[in-house]
Amino acid sequence: MSTISPSVDHASHGDHDHAAHGHHEIGFVKKYIFSTDHKIIGIQFLITTLLMLMVGGALALGVRWQLAGPWKYMPILGDAVFSAQGGQISPEAYTMLVTMHATVMIFLVIIPILAGAFGNFLIPLQIGADDMAFPTLNMLSYWFMWPAILLFAMSGGILDPLIPFESLRVGGVNAGTAQGWTSYPLLSALAQAAPGARMAQTYWLLGLTFVGVSSMMGSVNYMTTIINMRAPGMTLFRMPLTIWSMFITAILQAFALPVLTAAGFMLVADRTLGTCFFIPSGVVVNNADPTVGGGQPLLWQHLFWFYSHPAVYIMLLPAMGMVSDMLACMCRKPIFGYKPMVYSMAAIAGLGFIVWGHHMFISGMNPALGMSFMLSTMMIALPSAIKTFNWIGTLWGGRLLFNTVMLNSVAFVSMFVIGGLSGIFMAAVPVDIYIHDTYFIVAHFHYVLFGATLFGVFGAITFWFPKMFGRMMNEPLGQIHFVLTFIAFNCTFFPMHLLGVAGFPRRYADPYHFPYLEHLLPLNQFITGAAILMGVSQILLLANFFGSMFFGPKCGRNPWNANGLEWTAPSPPGHGNFDIPPVCYHGPYEYSSPLSGDKDFLPQTEYVPLPQRKALGDAGHH
Amino acid sequence: MGKFWAVFFSASAVLAVALCWVAKDYNWWFPYNQEAVSTIGRQIDDLFHLILVIVSVTFIGVNIALGYVLWTGAEAATNGQKKALFTHGSHALEVIWTIVPSGILLFIALYQMDVWAQFRFKSQAPRKLDIIAEVTARQFEWRIRYPARGKKLMPTPQPDDIYTVNDLRVPSGLPVGISLRTDDVQHSFFVPEFRIKQDAVPKLVIPIWFEVTKPGDYDLVCAELCGWGHYKMKARVKATSETEFEKWRSEAASEQFFDGVSPEAAETEEVAQQSDQ
Amino acid sequence: MQLNPEIRTGKPRRKLRPLIGLGLLCAVLGCGEGPPAEFSWRPSTTDMIPAAKKAVQEVMKESFGTPQQLVAWERMPVDFGGVRGDVAAIQTPGEFTLGLADPALASRVKSGMPIVWLTGPQAESKGTQTAKVESFDPKSLLLVSTGGEAAVGDKLLVGYGSQLQLGRVVYMKNCTHCHGVAGDGMGPTANYLNPRPRDFRLGIIKFTSTLSAERAARDDIHRIITNGIPGTYMPSFLLMAPEEKLAAVEYVRWLAMRGEMEKRLGDELADYNEVSLKSDIGKQEEAYQAAVKAGEKPEKPMGLPKALATSAASFKAYQEEDFPTIIDETADFLAETWQKADDPASLVTPQQSRVADSLESRQRGRRLYMSDRTKCYTCHGPLGRGDGGAVDDFWPKPGTTEKYAQRGLHDLWGNKLQPRDLTKGQYRGGRRPLDLYRRMFAGIKGTPMPAFGGTVLKDEEIWDLVNYVMSIPFESRTPSKPPTAAMASMPPESKVDH
Repeated sequence: MSTISPSVDHASHGDHDHAAHGHHEIGFVKKYIFSTDHKIIGIQFLITTLLMLMVGGALALGVRWQLAGPWKYMPILGDAVFSAQGGQISPEAYTMLVTMHATVMIFLVIIPILAGAFGNFLIPLQIGADDMAFPTLNMLSYWFMWPAILLFAMSGGILDPLIPFESLRVGGVNAGTAQGWTSYPLLSALAQAAPGARMAQTYWLLGLTFVGVSSMMGSVNYMTTIINMRAPGMTLFRMPLTIWSMFITAILQAFALPVLTAAGFMLVADRTLGTCFFIPSGVVVNNADPTVGGGQPLLWQHLFWFYSHPAVYIMLLPAMGMVSDMLACMCRKPIFGYKPMVYSMAAIAGLGFIVWGHHMFISGMNPALGMSFMLSTMMIALPSAIKTFNWIGTLWGGRLLFNTVMLNSVAFVSMFVIGGLSGIFMAAVPVDIYIHDTYFIVAHFHYVLFGATLFGVFGAITFWFPKMFGRMMNEPLGQIHFVLTFIAFNCTFFPMHLLGVAGFPRRYADPYHFPYLEHLLPLNQFITGAAILMGVSQILLLANFFGSMFFGPKCGRNPWNANGLEWTAPSPPGHGNFDIPPVCYHGPYEYSSPLSGDKDFLPQTEYVPLPQRKALGDAGHH
Repeated sequence: MGKFWAVFFSASAVLAVALCWVAKDYNWWFPYNQEAVSTIGRQIDDLFHLILVIVSVTFIGVNIALGYVLWTGAEAATNGQKKALFTHGSHALEVIWTIVPSGILLFIALYQMDVWAQFRFKSQAPRKLDIIAEVTARQFEWRIRYPARGKKLMPTPQPDDIYTVNDLRVPSGLPVGISLRTDDVQHSFFVPEFRIKQDAVPKLVIPIWFEVTKPGDYDLVCAELCGWGHYKMKARVKATSETEFEKWRSEAASEQFFDGVSPEAAETEEVAQQSDQ
Repeated sequence: MQLNPEIRTGKPRRKLRPLIGLGLLCAVLGCGEGPPAEFSWRPSTTDMIPAAKKAVQEVMKESFGTPQQLVAWERMPVDFGGVRGDVAAIQTPGEFTLGLADPALASRVKSGMPIVWLTGPQAESKGTQTAKVESFDPKSLLLVSTGGEAAVGDKLLVGYGSQLQLGRVVYMKNCTHCHGVAGDGMGPTANYLNPRPRDFRLGIIKFTSTLSAERAARDDIHRIITNGIPGTYMPSFLLMAPEEKLAAVEYVRWLAMRGEMEKRLGDELADYNEVSLKSDIGKQEEAYQAAVKAGEKPEKPMGLPKALATSAASFKAYQEEDFPTIIDETADFLAETWQKADDPASLVTPQQSRVADSLESRQRGRRLYMSDRTKCYTCHGPLGRGDGGAVDDFWPKPGTTEKYAQRGLHDLWGNKLQPRDLTKGQYRGGRRPLDLYRRMFAGIKGTPMPAFGGTVLKDEEIWDLVNYVMSIPFESRTPSKPPTAAMASMPPESKVDH
């Protein structure tokens, strides 16, 4: 399986290439804008997604503002679009906010930041390659994000003034796509069903296609690179868990994305070409002509969730891998149970393909499917639990360095526990009858996506920032950002579990006119306040990130005393990554090894001669 | 400093548990008096509480472990130790913490199967089930059709059917069924206090059954995004005794066939069968 | 929600001081950030010459206010809430017995309500509420106020405008996004709804229980809010709190009156329309140019600036002399017509109960349906599918010879209308026999559905039609047998078609 070419030839070959490239002048545009260097592309992804994070957060604050005081004046949106109504937004604008928040966060933030930013930056460096297998494809995968961003922005209704043709315009924010990020037909298939189901929905689906293509390109690249371009000595089981996670994620993307793309095309065809994949016959919406029909709305749900369930693991596994790396480093200890960790990730991915129906227990599909999906969903909790125990095992007996990286990684573990445990409620189908489409679900996925993944990302940014820019991020600022975000995050999302138990429905512009929900306004106002704090705290992150990029203290190759191959390259690595071609002699987690002498880390490229190893009783096997 | 963080993380877990502990007092828990008002709802609540216990024990246990390792790890960083414990794992532990959670998960999985079966499988649902109304969800209200007194609900509207909007009346104390359908896009029939929910799918007619244990007025809520008025579909389920239900039905029928003059001009005559009827 | 009632004396219109009633300014919305909501203006208003526009807008503002500062013009037959009364007897300073015209209204007075003095020592502090009700006993009518002296016979308003305020809040929350702030049917969502939301400003509501020439009764609006309109996006607010619904009804009526006032003033001032003036001048210029080209020596037309100046001067004179009378008459007219709507005499009530729903009745109804007296089939189609010949014709706009651009029927708001498909069993104005009777008796206001009652059809004939119409959804679509020989031999006009 692994391709270990003879080390010497490979190295000189690589050198030769680098020398050749060194003479070749590439202009600013090719170097920094349409770069094919995975590091630049990774940083491009990182900056773009951080900005998209702010956009998605702003949309969420709009949602929270409405829930804290329905029909009160909403800043910015109310002034811009609804001033005749006194700044009171319309209900369809609210559903647009909800839809676009989820869309931006899922497709423009979480997936690209994990696979696009960190996958791109880290994979070649951690496996000892000089770049990705397909650098041009890599560049395209970044630049395909921009049409997606443009199309999503158009679908939100904000770019109408820039669209030249009347028939291509959306109709303003009021007619922005508002069918949920899940975009269920018939609401999304019939243009008459909602103001946002017209031009806006088509743009949204096209944006989704571009995002999908971008991810596919990345996934093909990652799989090929990881399989073919590992450094000599880097067997599969000597790869850092980050790489394992990126690899498994790439496989998930490769198998799941085509289904979503196909479903997207089918829905676009239904909307524009008159096909009826999802549209049954004889439905009259908004007094339009009855539909011709022959299709099934449930088909979309199956196709959509067939992708979107693996998607949630796409949004989790890379963070799990990175957190494992970071924890091992900051605990100065090997990962507890490396192989079980690998197998668990593979199990999560594999099982992830057979649980999609748990989003559809109540959907009207055959109830017998409820049983089969319930079983597989219960089982998928198991590998996650194993991983959690292994992380705690990693922490146990460690010599813990409590810096920003560590804090965010521990937060990952702690929040993941909450998110994972709340998932058990949903896996039990009868309980899901009650909590489906309530805020219990919202709490669950925010805990796993934000509490786990995003804290992991914050840690990863801090951890690999020195490698990316050759400077350290500001530590006190990082810790303050962590504390504020952690507290605000928990204050925002933990009470949502309670809201869910109280039966608080999702996507409601004004829930309080129902008698059983009237008393929940104060709690919602508290949540909104915490959410605002959380949003404001991210300014610290951005300030730290961009400020340290220019003014941070310079650092050497290995400021964290970590083991991975990336820490043997210069900070930042030049073109071709490694000045000394790396050879890998052991696994990535040999911290506090007796073989490392006085220091408590043993880089993968450091060779320990056989006699020494034997003398220490083969304690450092792997 | 490290120990501060160990306490910090443990404190957040403690606060979470504390919040859940007091939630009931602030009514941040199941609607109204916390008890489900339908038989299946009670079973769902029992299941919920069982899972809550298991999950809470797990949560507390894991957080105690986490707090402990953070604390000792913080200590190890400050007591002059040069290296951490060098271990790659423990096979025994891996086996234990694979088998025990699978056992618990399998137990939960099997334990809850018959509640689901009762709700959705005809063979497990109550045998004697009266379908008393057809509930049609539409943008943005609930239109409900009842058969006339003494008649069965037909799949197509009948001349003597009784219609209401946003007002579902059911008799309590016995299993009743409704046929759920939708006129346009997907909606979802959610009665929080009964703990039941079912999506309404275009072109499908889905039967739902429940048995209300306590007469009263309950909220009916749409639980599937159906457009801008998703939040506006406010309706009520009014559960009364069977005699009251029939009484209401008769009153509703006379109101519906009110001609402005005589209250008794209600019943439509049985019209003689003809080729065009 | 702040209540800052203010005695509005307005600009004293010399001739009208005794006629203008009292207005009350109610401030709404405590949290005063954000742009103010605005009542939209009709094109007929915005297209006027500046002086006329200003005059009309001022009148509207004084009489009805803005969404932020509503004016409860008591001349309008709207139940603004609260009571007006006087001091019947003084117990101690600050405590007096309230004299009410209708003692039943005593239940409206609640503690905390604001008091506005109309006469007496405290009436001088115009603009601010001077006191509040501290406590009130509905039985003895003893009112304890938070301060101020009063003399016997002093007039006061207690809580006046509170229902209008509540209506405004309920309306903004539930109705604005479709019906618009001014009830113009042009809220943000309106473009996406078919049929469009109602524009109240014509003062017309379709599904009423009143005679065809009358306005809608309160009950009608209440029923529509409670039951919704099936087949449209008007939902049922069955579970809205009763007091909120009543307040919404009053607010909708108030908006309708406001809209009607603006429309009528616009109609009166049609001569001062700047847009039509400009287009007239343009035509004159063209004619002049054409004449010059043709070699004639025509008179040079008035240029635009002169025309505008003349118009402005003319309006100034009009404003001094005629305008106040027009305002007055319009207000009177509105008050009278809206008052009359709730008169029992305006209610359409069948004189006899429904004819038994037998086959014979339905056949009679069918014959009437196909007869030339009613011509139902020309719109609703021979099978009741709403596909009658009328949908293919070009119809003239009401009161003109100009035709609509599109084929088919239109309503008074200019929307294209499809005649109801009676096979669906969907009755927008209500499905009771009484409701169908009313549709036929009094027609549907604002639409081409005519009124047959009292003139064309007798009561029992209307009931026959009702029975037939209610049977249409249950007719089988495909005839299972050909018409019998007996039917084939019947004279044409009484043959029952399939």
